[in-house]
Amino acid sequence: MAGVHESKVDEAIEMGMQVVKEYTADDDRLMTLSVGPQHPGSGHFRFTIKLDGDYIVYCDPDPGYVHRGEEKMCEYRNFIQNIPHLERPVIHDSANITYSYSLAVEQLVGIEVPRRGQFIRALTSELDRQVYTLYWLAIYGIFLGHSTMFMWPTADRELFIDLLDSLTGARVTHAFNIPGGVRNDVPEGFKEKTLRHIAYYEKRLKEYEDIFYNNPLLRQRTEGVGLLTKEDAIKLGVTGSVLRASGVPFDVRKSEPYDIYNEIDFKVQYMRTGDSFARAYVPFLDMKESCNIMRQLLDKMPESGEVRAKLQPNPKGPAGETYRRVESGRGALGYYIVSDGTPRPYRVKISVGSFRNILALPHLLVGSKLADMPSIYWALNYWPVEADR
Amino acid sequence: MFKDLLNPTNFNVMVSKLSDVLVKAVNEPLGYAINWGRVWSLWPVHLETACCSVEFGAASGPRYDVERFGIIEAFGSLRQCDLIVVQGTVNRKMAPRVRMVYDQMPEPKYVIAMGACAITGGLYVDSYNVLPGIDGIIPVDVYVPGCPPRPETLIQGTMLLQEKIKRSKIK
Repeated sequence: MAGVHESKVDEAIEMGMQVVKEYTADDDRLMTLSVGPQHPGSGHFRFTIKLDGDYIVYCDPDPGYVHRGEEKMCEYRNFIQNIPHLERPVIHDSANITYSYSLAVEQLVGIEVPRRGQFIRALTSELDRQVYTLYWLAIYGIFLGHSTMFMWPTADRELFIDLLDSLTGARVTHAFNIPGGVRNDVPEGFKEKTLRHIAYYEKRLKEYEDIFYNNPLLRQRTEGVGLLTKEDAIKLGVTGSVLRASGVPFDVRKSEPYDIYNEIDFKVQYMRTGDSFARAYVPFLDMKESCNIMRQLLDKMPESGEVRAKLQPNPKGPAGETYRRVESGRGALGYYIVSDGTPRPYRVKISVGSFRNILALPHLLVGSKLADMPSIYWALNYWPVEADR
Repeated sequence: MFKDLLNPTNFNVMVSKLSDVLVKAVNEPLGYAINWGRVWSLWPVHLETACCSVEFGAASGPRYDVERFGIIEAFGSLRQCDLIVVQGTVNRKMAPRVRMVYDQMPEPKYVIAMGACAITGGLYVDSYNVLPGIDGIIPVDVYVPGCPPRPETLIQGTMLLQEKIKRSKIK
């Protein structure tokens, strides 16, 4: 299968080059098409494309439809008050977006998280990675007209949401990872329930592979479409699954291990082809690997102990700056915090994976066909609300 | 007596009364039928304004399945839609688009404000770029509170809207 895949990629490179050569700038022939924000295939995002026949020759992304000024709002709340609104950009991956914030604040204030707290944190992070990726996969399925792939992930996602609901008390917005650890200990029987869910879920993942990834229609629509070479991927600064699909084995959990991730044994999943299929397949491999990580976390978790370090009521650190990042569902997600010694941050900058990945969109769309637009766009692992912040 | 009845003034009164009775006899069953049709085929616009769209997606998934109530994720044209579910925060860039979408929809049209941000601005009430609720730009029928509302809450909101449509009069 791999050999067939790579030869198709070569074909597409040749075809893509021909397209670019044939095109001559003749404005009368071009048709302008505005996609979004009210469009089934765009979400909270708009981009303008210009078409020459069936080929896209120009693309102008226009984000900002959900810009809510998160970074400015951080400046008039204290470090603990910031948590609920900081998780709103990615409510289905909220454990990860608060994870890196907590790490940054802990580094600034100078506190150590208890060992059991670190394990529970990593566990919520992995559970939310599943929740996010399954939602992404569901939307990718419906984008490509595969309704079964909308229904199955949405149904299996609810299992993980149930687990998180019993752990944190909210379906998607947990506000659970806070500076100093996590809010509560795990409920009774959580470990057994999680292991049972993972065992069921791994069976389901095999079925996903059969019905979706080995589907000839999906393969035809994604293989060799939207090629991003290794050099371009590094030059454009993409991250997460998009970077890994282009053959760069970069994962923050491996390269800069935080909390207890250096004790966990896992492989960085990557592919070399760099087309839409690889970008759709790498998150799936990540989900598989994440199941192994969760098993190890549950095995190694200490039986009892503190889950949260004692914090002063209004925590503040010395004047200075700090940057910490984690691997979220969309790639590296970092917080840069500047403090002037008061309980409120002086400046917070959120570096999100979505915004880095969307920078590759014009590069990939120009030269491809209009019909390939959905498979290229959503395979970029993009969540517009997060990118706009 | 006949002369009295045939007097032009009385005659007009009689005709108008008769027409009232006729209109009532036809209107009530017809209105019921029309409302019944509207209640069970609410088609929402695919317009996502912020993060509540995640829970809207979950509501149309297999566990909650809003299709039971005749609401489908319409992937058709705006001209076939009769419901906007404003899914969360509306900011200054999105507000004109929401109004434009609302204006393009045919009558009758209904609006559900989903989430605290769509009702009052919610968590983002002190942000520089967020509207304090959408009732300033479009009329709202049902408010569904929550941040984000659970899918059950959204379903209850849509059932309230259906009650409202059942009781409404046909013009």
